[in-house]
Amino acid sequence: MYSYLLDKEKLKCCYQCGKCSSGCDINRLDGSFQPHRLLHLIGMGATDKVLKIDSLWKCTTCFTCSERCPQGVKITEILWLTRAFAFKSGCIPELAVIQRDTLLKSGRLMPVDNKKREKAGLPAITEESDVAAQIFKIAEEKEQIL
Amino acid sequence: MRYAFYLGCATPVKALKYEISARNLARSLGIELIDIPEFGCCGFPVKSMDSFAAILMAARNLAIAEEKGMDIIGVCTGCTAILSEAKEYLEDEKLREKVNGKLKALGVKEYRGRVKIKHFARFLYEDYKPDRIRDKITTPLASLEFGIHYGCHYMKPTPAHGQFDDPANPFTIDDLINITGAKTVNYPNKNLCCGLTIMGTDEDLSFKLAAEKLECLSGKGVDAMVVACPSCCIAYENNQKLVGKKTGKEFSLPVLYFTQVIGLAMGLSEKDLGFEFNRIKADDLLQ
Ligand code: SF4
Ligand code: SF4
Repeated sequence: MYSYLLDKEKLKCCYQCGKCSSGCDINRLDGSFQPHRLLHLIGMGATDKVLKIDSLWKCTTCFTCSERCPQGVKITEILWLTRAFAFKSGCIPELAVIQRDTLLKSGRLMPVDNKKREKAGLPAITEESDVAAQIFKIAEEKEQIL
Repeated sequence: MRYAFYLGCATPVKALKYEISARNLARSLGIELIDIPEFGCCGFPVKSMDSFAAILMAARNLAIAEEKGMDIIGVCTGCTAILSEAKEYLEDEKLREKVNGKLKALGVKEYRGRVKIKHFARFLYEDYKPDRIRDKITTPLASLEFGIHYGCHYMKPTPAHGQFDDPANPFTIDDLINITGAKTVNYPNKNLCCGLTIMGTDEDLSFKLAAEKLECLSGKGVDAMVVACPSCCIAYENNQKLVGKKTGKEFSLPVLYFTQVIGLAMGLSEKDLGFEFNRIKADDLLQ
């Protein structure tokens, strides 16, 4: 499961050139956010530490770094996955909790206003709302990845 | 030409002008966008919560489209990227087997890896072809000049999307807009992210990103910014006043969807293109 992303061998490919950070607009605006440093810590197995780093949630997932990396490290994906581990271990921003609860309740991130849609001449949306909740439940029965 | 229309969560709630104009543009071009009531969340927001749940969500949608024998056309760059990524990961047989095992519990047949996913703009560029749209242009927009904002997930990550565009120097939407007769400008931060994904976790940073592009394009004197994703539009249009206030600037830059611009040049009415929902009025441009 996604294992090749967090594969230690793959992470070893990172030779800390910093090209990911130097092309990252978030790093340009906020020097405390340095994707290559985060990767270094993840590669060293300092997972507990990384999960608690707030700046994990500053990445916009723009994929600029992944496209630039000379070693083909899927940086964005690795940071994204790491967030999911942070989420599970409770190191999460409030927004993520709100988003999860909305998803569990309505099956979507933004609940639909069918009256407004009808007024605009658009068809009503009638998707089953418990699919997301079911999926969260099913997904829980799986082995740990990191 | 029948395609499963993947609306996503943001478009049908926050981007009615996009949905209206996309549906009507498709209709005028003879492209059938079929609504699939069973489609659910693409998995994007879930990726930060549970990576396996995220891929299950994406796979479920892919399997549903596949069962109906239709490829997917999406309007949100985030949804199309996440679905394309899932397709890439699910090429791994072991993962696919595992996911398929779980899909059964959701009442969905297995996913066999056959469905294609494309953003509507990419579909127009690659499959429908700009030349065929050109034949339908009745009202050339020769006097207008636009700045295109592609949205990161429109063509990235390239391992998932393939190399249909160039992330360093994107051109497909420029080409689509150019066939309307309108000009598109090149500008220094054309590839800058809209920042919407971190609005909830770091508003300051998010607004700084949005302000940089708004400032650059306003300075270029374009008639409007053209976008292809509901999230980017929220960042640049819905939030425009707020972004200005927070960063001490004043912006008044109309933001249009590529579907609205192409539709205009094909003579579709303002109503059929959802212009009543444009927050920063584009009246000058419509005249
Ligand atoms: S660009 Fe790639 S190799 Fe260089 S530091 Fe970043 S992840 Fe490592
Ligand atoms: S994906 Fe994240 S880390 Fe990479 S360049 Fe974009 S914001 Fe920076």
